[in-house]
Amino acid sequence: MIFEWIRFFIVAALLIAALISFASAVFGAYRFGFVMNRMHSAGIGDTLGIFFIVTALCIASGFNMDTLKLLLLIFFMWFTSPVSTHFLGQVEYYTNPDLSKHVQRIGGMLGDEKTEAELKKKPDKEAEDGAD
Amino acid sequence: MTIEDCYNTLYLSVTIGMLILVGAMVIRSIIGPRITDRILSINMLGTMVICTIAILSQYLGESYLVDVALIYAMISFATVLILAIMFLPVKPKEPKFPGFTLKNGQAAGKEAEK
Repeated sequence: MIFEWIRFFIVAALLIAALISFASAVFGAYRFGFVMNRMHSAGIGDTLGIFFIVTALCIASGFNMDTLKLLLLIFFMWFTSPVSTHFLGQVEYYTNPDLSKHVQRIGGMLGDEKTEAELKKKPDKEAEDGAD
Repeated sequence: MTIEDCYNTLYLSVTIGMLILVGAMVIRSIIGPRITDRILSINMLGTMVICTIAILSQYLGESYLVDVALIYAMISFATVLILAIMFLPVKPKEPKFPGFTLKNGQAAGKEAEK
């Protein structure tokens, strides 16, 4: 009987940890002001939150067919979450006109005429140096 | 109070907490200034709904709800992917790095240019 209660408290701790990580993800979604910061907080819920939930349910149910399905779920979520985040970042990068207010790119932003002119100038200069 | 009642109370309280967070994400998706904010909120909402379904499968003792959660995960991923591809430009600008340029879709170095 005592082991049942120990299992119950482990499950309760894991579920509350999952709830806290999801709450921190939602808090970050409200707190941050830019999408690429919000993606960071969304990743907490997508990876850590679902890990705690699935671990808690696996411990609660014991080893049966549901455990394998839940492990498949966590496997799927851990592989698809970075892909969707990457696509969202790509959409933000190519469609936001005010991107340079929020992020910096090494070598200059795309579509910025001044930096593009500098980038065009730089290889020619190097080629001239090589010729000399 | 038996251990079954404790488990039921725990699952119910965690489900109610997840419901509040899902409501918060719905509000976030409504007030998001750009389209990417909305897509990201829907992505997080989908994850929370998956977790809620997984908890409900234990609470109700119905194992088929885990299959529903799996299908929901796949549909949520497809939604985000299709929306993102829809809002991408057809041919994105080619990245220009100082070392090389893109010619005919292939990266050509300085030697190739000469």
